[in-house]
Amino acid sequence: MAKKIFKGRPVLSGKLEGKALVSKMPFNLTGSYFENMFAGNTESAPCTDANNPDLFKKDMKDAILCTSQCVGSTMGAGALMGVSEMGVGLKAFLFSSHIDSIAAGGLIIDDVWYDRRVITIDLLGDEFLEAVKTGDPISIAEDGTVTVG
Amino acid sequence: MKLTKDEQAILGGSKGPEMAKLMKIQVVFGNTFGAEKLVDLGGAPHSNLYPGAPYLSSMIKMLDECATAGLKSYAPYTVNPRPYDCFNVQNNEKEMQIVYEGYPLQKELDWVHARLGAPDLNKRSCACYVKEVGNAPKPGTMVAWAESSAVNYGNSVLGIRTNRNGAGIDLISAITAKAPYFGLMTDEGRQAKWLVEVKTSKAPDWGVLGTAIGRKVVEDVPLVAGIDKYFEGSEVTEDNMHLLKAMGSATAASGAVGLYHVENLTPDAKEKGRKLLEEGYQTYVYDDAEEQKTIKTFDNLWPRKDGDPTAAFIGCPHNTLYEMKKWGKLVTEGLEKDGKEKTAIPVYMFCANVVKLQLIADDGELAGKMLKAGMIATPMCGVTWAGTKGFSDRVQGITNSAKTRNYSSIRYFPDQTLVDIIVSGKVPS
Repeated sequence: MAKKIFKGRPVLSGKLEGKALVSKMPFNLTGSYFENMFAGNTESAPCTDANNPDLFKKDMKDAILCTSQCVGSTMGAGALMGVSEMGVGLKAFLFSSHIDSIAAGGLIIDDVWYDRRVITIDLLGDEFLEAVKTGDPISIAEDGTVTVG
Repeated sequence: MKLTKDEQAILGGSKGPEMAKLMKIQVVFGNTFGAEKLVDLGGAPHSNLYPGAPYLSSMIKMLDECATAGLKSYAPYTVNPRPYDCFNVQNNEKEMQIVYEGYPLQKELDWVHARLGAPDLNKRSCACYVKEVGNAPKPGTMVAWAESSAVNYGNSVLGIRTNRNGAGIDLISAITAKAPYFGLMTDEGRQAKWLVEVKTSKAPDWGVLGTAIGRKVVEDVPLVAGIDKYFEGSEVTEDNMHLLKAMGSATAASGAVGLYHVENLTPDAKEKGRKLLEEGYQTYVYDDAEEQKTIKTFDNLWPRKDGDPTAAFIGCPHNTLYEMKKWGKLVTEGLEKDGKEKTAIPVYMFCANVVKLQLIADDGELAGKMLKAGMIATPMCGVTWAGTKGFSDRVQGITNSAKTRNYSSIRYFPDQTLVDIIVSGKVPS
């Protein structure tokens, strides 16, 4: 496939290569991590949001998650820190739109207090989410450039 | 973000290493959202950090370090309900095993809250703004609340100014007594990008309306028109605030709505009217057809789809005193009409303990009838229970909460249908 390049804003910068996991609909942070938050799963991170056909039951451990933005309860910040500590968190979080205050809170606290970083890029644009598909190769650069393909 | 000299000194360690780190988090967080400054907070904080679950161990450890360093909230603050209740709900061996294995850090978390400045457990509630709990700052007060439904109600109905803070940022702001000034705290951030015109032939189903709005506007601010007529005298009162609580919490659960305006009703809308609408705003019409369309998306997620319900969940967010009385009457009168003494399934009434005590003080006879009928008042968080391991295998729940529905396998029904199911034990075909 032809490579497509998108320039975003690094909220928490870093360099990474891997494969995309895509949620075309907004990602419900709390709704997606219920099994890790309340059901004792520390081995994997199966998405528990039955409203999300792209991700429901898919393992999000170590994923490069591509979505538009996050929705849902304010417990989501704690959920992100929790899955990070369990070792089943995301490797990178890529947003076509602006990062929200819930996700940003969890990711930034984890980064500053515990030195645990999930590379986070936002403002990649609608075209990014239209172009990227689950399984696509992704390359992330320090300056927020994301290459798909 | 431009910091004052004092703030720069804190960042440099003048108030200790913990405060310096908290300030750094505030600065990175504020810069992410283009905040130009930090503002001093007033009123009282509200925290959603409630479950002592292992996934929160990092958060609890950080706050424990702050409390050990002698740091404290700038004012006594309210906290979301605890995640379990072994007196009234999980009072059997199997559920207790799940509770004690699932929340091994509850003691540590409660102890952290006590040291940082939370009041006793009787006031634990997600509906911190009800009179009995008493955290309802004056309009215009800058605060940094967490809990999506409380943020949403506070911004919209009380007219306070807070962003949708995640767990952690709430207490970091409480300890620093400051928050980055951006988003829903600013006049510009409170402008509406959507006009929602409600044109239903009768009062809307408030939870369904909220779900539809959340899905449509996602994180934007809507101005909702056409519903003020359901609020007598265009005032939000103790007797009708639950309607906005139901609608708002659903917008925050199905979307990320932190603020909505209701034409002629909520403080910003009363002051500014349709001047709240941004240039180029979009319009969404919600009518009977839209309501039905939304309801049809509420799938039956019970493992045994045609099975009978085993429990009713009333009150997410937590019931107000009015709701406790309303549901008490609806259910006990429904039973009397059917010649029955007890509900077919247990009915869990989620509310702050101080609300339950007020119900007993106000109307002991009704409280007694409710107890005898099988209605169990509990201060826990119902939606958290619904998220515990194997819940849907143990419980086939029904609810009046669109928020609970959004996060669980519990099925949503309108009030009267819910009463009929509670009395008969059967879901109508």
